[in-house]
Amino acid sequence: MGRESKINPKYDILAVITLNKDRVLSGKPLTLLAQNEEEQKEMTADIAKALKAEIVRMKTNDFLIIRE
Amino acid sequence: MPGKEFLAASDLNIIITAILIGTFARIITLKEDFRQYPSYPNGYLIHLITGFVSASLGSVALPALLSKNFIAVTFLSLAIQQFRDVRKMEKESLMDLEETEYTYRGKAYIDGIAKTFEARNYFSLVVALVTSITIKIVPFKGWVGIIIGIAVGLLLLFLLVRISKGKTIGDIAQVKTGKIEVKGSELFVDGMFITNQLGSDQAQKLFKEEGMAVVITPNENHFRINLENFGQRQAVLFEATRTLGLKRYHFTRRDFENGKVVVALVPIKKDMDAFIEVVKKCPLLESVKKPNSVMKTNLKGR
Repeated sequence: MGRESKINPKYDILAVITLNKDRVLSGKPLTLLAQNEEEQKEMTADIAKALKAEIVRMKTNDFLIIRE
Repeated sequence: MPGKEFLAASDLNIIITAILIGTFARIITLKEDFRQYPSYPNGYLIHLITGFVSASLGSVALPALLSKNFIAVTFLSLAIQQFRDVRKMEKESLMDLEETEYTYRGKAYIDGIAKTFEARNYFSLVVALVTSITIKIVPFKGWVGIIIGIAVGLLLLFLLVRISKGKTIGDIAQVKTGKIEVKGSELFVDGMFITNQLGSDQAQKLFKEEGMAVVITPNENHFRINLENFGQRQAVLFEATRTLGLKRYHFTRRDFENGKVVVALVPIKKDMDAFIEVVKKCPLLESVKKPNSVMKTNLKGR
């Protein structure tokens, strides 16, 4: 949300929620595999609410939870 | 009493009149405008007291000089130091508040506000000084001389306020309502891409129903230098969120092709007219101002 707080905002990817198990790789952001789209949306919303973060829906239908 | 010197009544009249006019100058310039700053009693008190002190320094300078008390005139250098402290105090105070606002004022805006507060103390000093000089040099004594001094002081104050008045966004650009479109998780204003951070259904619904956006179009191409400055955009966003409140989300985006700047947000108070008005009235920051005439001038002779 804080696009204006800095000239070059640095976002952290806090979590990735996907439906494709091939995209569940090890790495810094938590990557979760959802069973269906509804579950994917619920998981994303719950994590984003808890972390007060923003949600980005990628064109591949994966969700990113990001925060500055 | 032998060995003690008292002020003459005429000098006392000069000093009191000059202090009053100098302090009045600070009161007049300490207006609570649409920016609502300062909007707290203690803030007023601090600035009125520093205005009174600077008026006092300005008013005693001439009588001190005439009584051959040259050391007392060095008080003016003390005034400069005091005004610098006013600027520093204001800067520190606003920086401390940064974390508590809806959006950041930004360093450029804070610097401009602090400089304005410093400059307005100089108003008090100069107005008081000129008032005291006028009363002393006019050939009329008594009330006539005092009235002439007051008139000259007020005229100077009027000129100083006119000279120091800066421009606003509305002077250099058109501000119009922007049409909001939410396509999937992407937000567009007047067809311009703003963000793709509306990933959740809730965010998309919120922006569709309650989002507002304005598009700022510069009147001339060179005004883009001011408008696209990060500090300037931050100041615009700050004024908008301070006036309308902020429920969630705030974005600004530049269009590199035509120089348009978009400000989009979800406010607490949905008032489009107020949004446009506050953006129009947002001051152009001194640190950003680049007069086109000066840019064109061939100062170096090359």
